Amino acid sequence: MRGEELSAVVLAAGEGSRLAPLTKRRPKPMLPVGSKPLLEHVISAVSEAGIKRIVLVVGYERDRIQTYFGDGDDWGVSLSYTVQDQQLGTAHAVQQAANAVGDEFLVLNGDRLIEPEVIEQVREELIGQETETPESDAVMAVTRSAEPSRYGVVTLEGSDVVEIVEKPRGDSPSEIINAGVYGFRQDVFEAIAQTGQSDSGEYELPTVVNRLAEKGRVQAVRYNGRWLDVSQLWDLLTVTGQVLDDGHGHLSGTVEEGAQVSNLVHLDETATVGKNAVVGRGTTLAENVRIGPNATVERSVVFPDATIRAGAVVRNSIIGANVTVGENVTIPKGKATVVVEGTVHEDVQFGGVIGDNTHLGGGSVLEPGTIIGDSVTLAPGTTIRGTVDDNVEVRNG
Amino acid sequence: MCGIIGYVGEQSALGFLSTGLSNLEYRGYDSAGVALVDEEIDVYKQAGEVSELQAVLPENTSERIGIGHTRWSTHGPPTRANAHPHTDGAGQVAVVHNGIIENYETLREELSERTFTSDTDTEVIPHLVARELDSGASPLEAVEEAIGRLEGSFAVVIAIAGYDKLFAVRRDSPLVLGHADHGTFLGSDVTAFLEETQEVTYLDDGELAVIDFDGVELFADGERVDVERQTLDWEADAAEKGGYEHYMLKEIHEQPRALRQTLSGRLNTEDGTVELDIDLPTEYLNSLEEVQFVACGTSYYAGQYAATLVESLAEVRTSVHIASEYEFSGGRDPWRTLVIAVTQSGETADTLSAIRKATRAGARTLAVTNTLGSTITRVVDDSVFIRAGPEIGVAATKTFASQVATLAMVAVSVGRSRGVLSSERAVEILESLRALPGAVQQVLDADRAVAEIAHEYADSEAFFYIGRQLGYPVALEGALKLKEISYDHAEGFAAGELKHGPLALVTEETPVLAVLTDGTRPSETMNNIKEVQARGADVVGVVSSDVPTKQVDMAFSVPECGVVEPLVANVYWQLFAYYVAHKKDRSIDRPRNLAKSVTVE
Repeated sequence: MRGEELSAVVLAAGEGSRLAPLTKRRPKPMLPVGSKPLLEHVISAVSEAGIKRIVLVVGYERDRIQTYFGDGDDWGVSLSYTVQDQQLGTAHAVQQAANAVGDEFLVLNGDRLIEPEVIEQVREELIGQETETPESDAVMAVTRSAEPSRYGVVTLEGSDVVEIVEKPRGDSPSEIINAGVYGFRQDVFEAIAQTGQSDSGEYELPTVVNRLAEKGRVQAVRYNGRWLDVSQLWDLLTVTGQVLDDGHGHLSGTVEEGAQVSNLVHLDETATVGKNAVVGRGTTLAENVRIGPNATVERSVVFPDATIRAGAVVRNSIIGANVTVGENVTIPKGKATVVVEGTVHEDVQFGGVIGDNTHLGGGSVLEPGTIIGDSVTLAPGTTIRGTVDDNVEVRNG
Repeated sequence: MCGIIGYVGEQSALGFLSTGLSNLEYRGYDSAGVALVDEEIDVYKQAGEVSELQAVLPENTSERIGIGHTRWSTHGPPTRANAHPHTDGAGQVAVVHNGIIENYETLREELSERTFTSDTDTEVIPHLVARELDSGASPLEAVEEAIGRLEGSFAVVIAIAGYDKLFAVRRDSPLVLGHADHGTFLGSDVTAFLEETQEVTYLDDGELAVIDFDGVELFADGERVDVERQTLDWEADAAEKGGYEHYMLKEIHEQPRALRQTLSGRLNTEDGTVELDIDLPTEYLNSLEEVQFVACGTSYYAGQYAATLVESLAEVRTSVHIASEYEFSGGRDPWRTLVIAVTQSGETADTLSAIRKATRAGARTLAVTNTLGSTITRVVDDSVFIRAGPEIGVAATKTFASQVATLAMVAVSVGRSRGVLSSERAVEILESLRALPGAVQQVLDADRAVAEIAHEYADSEAFFYIGRQLGYPVALEGALKLKEISYDHAEGFAAGELKHGPLALVTEETPVLAVLTDGTRPSETMNNIKEVQARGADVVGVVSSDVPTKQVDMAFSVPECGVVEPLVANVYWQLFAYYVAHKKDRSIDRPRNLAKSVTVE
């Protein structure tokens, strides 16, 4: 159907279990980066690229997404929702949107920070070649990464995709990676139907792209703009820092007498900073956050409804929603060895990560690299390191 | 949030405008207006809901061009004068507008020789256009020149008398064209005209649409561009519910955000004071003998909750009155009585009537409402807004939470002014209030568990809700929710009253839902739980962390937040009612026989 407006399918159904405890109650795309969730960055980029119809594929904790975005009016887009009940991979997610898209459509990951430019590039390539027999079966954006083996590494021949290899072990065959922005036509659904499960039992888009590349042609579009991913907890701090350094924060909210707030900070209008407190560069203070008098918060992400009480010092840390950081609690930054889902990460630099609704008793000290779960109670004056599971009560001594 | 509708076509415009405004009412509903355009422009505006505008619209109009607007004010009162469309003084140009004109003060100064009749930023637009027309510009030139002068974000539709075209332009505010067989529509979103066409064109930022009887021409940077159409494939009602099946569930989930807005900038958790921007002199509060609450339905229960707080925090006698039963009597001294009206819409006829009685008697009055500039705010001495945002579901949910939170701040404010509330206790209360959004979120995170329990008990014969103290109004409100949307027999009782009668109703087929949190004397209610269990009833309890849960058959927990724990518990009852009604496939957003705001006595 010519003339029908191109829509974008944004994949936001996944959990992001590597980012636990932050993803216990919200999907990864709803993690805040600067003034807004990751997914809002994506939706804004799609809207800025001139695409006003967005199909959001939602699943895990979808209420959080729906409550936040509603019908998309506030972003000047029409949003519709498609539910992926079981998270069986990105190709399966796209399949759910089959009835909601036209002959051609874009697909984007809902958890990567990109610029509108890459969306425009893929769209131009997809629509530009709209003839009776299109030259390619799909379009895919690629970008360069300093750590390609963390992503899907792409082998190109000219501008044709030869193969995507997910997270290759050993030396990466190239530094070109899949940027997670695709242009597809209706026949992709046939390819999805014919594609089997990956080793992890899921139906993945890169497998589908490989199949299309093998049988026909997948056109790569090179993108050199901003491309940021949050694949580990501590990435949230660096990505937030970059976004705020670029001036994407907003300073509103209540700042009491004597408090110092860096201008490279996001301070929500419903947040308050108490007397003589210091809020340093690279920090996000979300809705209804309260920073007590004389507290110091630097390079940290503080989720809604959290309280950091008087005199606490929080550096390079992630404070979950509705957390209470007691008086004079110290969370310093430093290097640590951290284990996430069985993988050991050495020399990681951050302070602490605190899951939603956790209460850190006054005077406690967290050693760098501490990860505390959801709904944990830490007795006052406790010194702690390592990882604490959800719903644990940590007593002192 | 405001709504825009426009029409140019073969048929009479008024019917489409009227339907469009009704469809857009979810975007805001405190004033509305339309302009019908032929050789002259006729403007009809009204403060209040769209239905109030509809009541004054003429029948059988011939104009085939028109624009309409429904407003939800965030700044400035929703008076008739401030309602859209706005015109230049001479009735030559009419404009509807969403968004903000940032440089309107500069423009207004520049236009100071012209006569302005509203407080809105919008009114500069018709004047700018009219000035250009007066100086000989063509309509298109005049519109382009005027739009070029505006800074800010907006969607604007402009009509000119004697000129059979509409002009539309947007910058960062949505605006969409609809192409029907009989004409062209404009809307702030497609719900405005979805019954008439699903062929639409979304305007891009900066694009100017010129719409006439032949269709649409689009201009970008002065150049003509193609009108790209697309076909929507969704149903009329689904769009604005944001993926939720009902407004009610959407609004239940909006509570944390609504509450943050309610509290924003009002709490001082260091020195235990609140800033509510009301003028109640300390001498008056010191002389106060009684605070009366008047309200109906859910707002009445919010009043009951608040009355308990005012008695304990402000040490003043209170009474709570069903508005339709209210008389100012009993030998009260009007000079020493404060009457607080609680009404979401600000238009509830019974409450308005009660507050007029109080005013006539000479009592001081205060309104707690969600609707800026509603009728009640013009009748009372002072108003406090609960800032919950528009509520569409007939069953009130988020507004109850925001009402109680607001009234709790009033209680602290009065208590502090009267010098009877210590700053330590005030800080404690305010900390509890600030913890409220996070606590409500935790209940919402348990949504699925509540759904399971609701489905399990959905087919019960009747449902009894019990609680003491602050748990009593929550029991009443919990039962009302279930009655309203599931049509089941439900009743709320003060827990201690069970044995004085209602216990006769309790059987194995009647689950009892109990509030066992702080502020509800849970250990005493436990005795009543034993009474009902002895009759074979199952007990579903909402409990604080320090209450033993062994005794109840199913326990939901609330995080520690002091006097607002019962309010958090209420969110469980909202979800419970929703899922019972859902299982029974009820018309949840529009229950039979009920209307959102009851404007008749």
